[in-house]
Amino acid sequence: MSDVARDPAALELLRTQRSRLADRMRPPWWHLPGVAILWALTFAYPFSSRFLPQGVRIWPILVVGVALACALQWGLARATGIKVGFRNLRYPPAGRPVRIAILVVGLAALVTETFLIGRGLLVAAIVVAALAVVAEVAGQQAALRGIRQELRGGGGAA
Amino acid sequence: MTARPDPLIHPITRLSICGLLAAGADWVEFAALRDAAGTSDSVLSKQSRVLEDAGYVEVRKGAVGRRPRTWFRLTAEGRQAVEGHLAWLAQLEEAVSASTRTAQQARPLPGDRDQPRRVPPPLLGSS
Repeated sequence: MSDVARDPAALELLRTQRSRLADRMRPPWWHLPGVAILWALTFAYPFSSRFLPQGVRIWPILVVGVALACALQWGLARATGIKVGFRNLRYPPAGRPVRIAILVVGLAALVTETFLIGRGLLVAAIVVAALAVVAEVAGQQAALRGIRQELRGGGGAA
Repeated sequence: MTARPDPLIHPITRLSICGLLAAGADWVEFAALRDAAGTSDSVLSKQSRVLEDAGYVEVRKGAVGRRPRTWFRLTAEGRQAVEGHLAWLAQLEEAVSASTRTAQQARPLPGDRDQPRRVPPPLLGSS
């Protein structure tokens, strides 16, 4: 086994290895469509509360949504071999605060949809929901990019 | 965080394992760690056992179907040791590059053989 102190390239080697690890943090093909379905379910909520037939309950849909979110997280960890749990809204620290943006866009879209549906502007509400899904998927991609950047940079360690 | 060498993390394979686990992920799976570190299964098993026995690495074993899955993460003690060791290595790298720069600046011209040679600072284990 070589001695790192005699090898000035030890840190450089570690940077290369971290870069290799970060490259594994690429979502499989089904991940982003899954995220899109999850957000579509979320943004369908204002419609369902108004247009769902009598007798059909909303909570099974919510359970499906939560189960889908957990399955996506588990599947991503299994496919990449890297588990990065939820820490806070400012994670990943590299780049812009993506998770805050995801939350703000989500809340704004739900409020706007509810307002538009209340005014009878159904088409406009559907357009808002579709745009919000696209924005959330883009946000998810940005978050994954931030995580890759974080892994490449060493997460604060030298 | 104090920059100090840790003899347990000093060997290159263990440095790779710890450095990768300190990169920001919560848990890293065996195959991902092996591929990123560029080691074999047996080397990773052996070195991770040493780190686990020292309390630097936590190991969680599971299975997906019939395939066993092993996940690693750094303990708080391990993280502290890795960060100290990496800071020490960064200082060392800085010192080596600074001495190289100085040596290049002080390189004697051809024919100027009376110039004294600069000696790089002593490194760990080179006594």
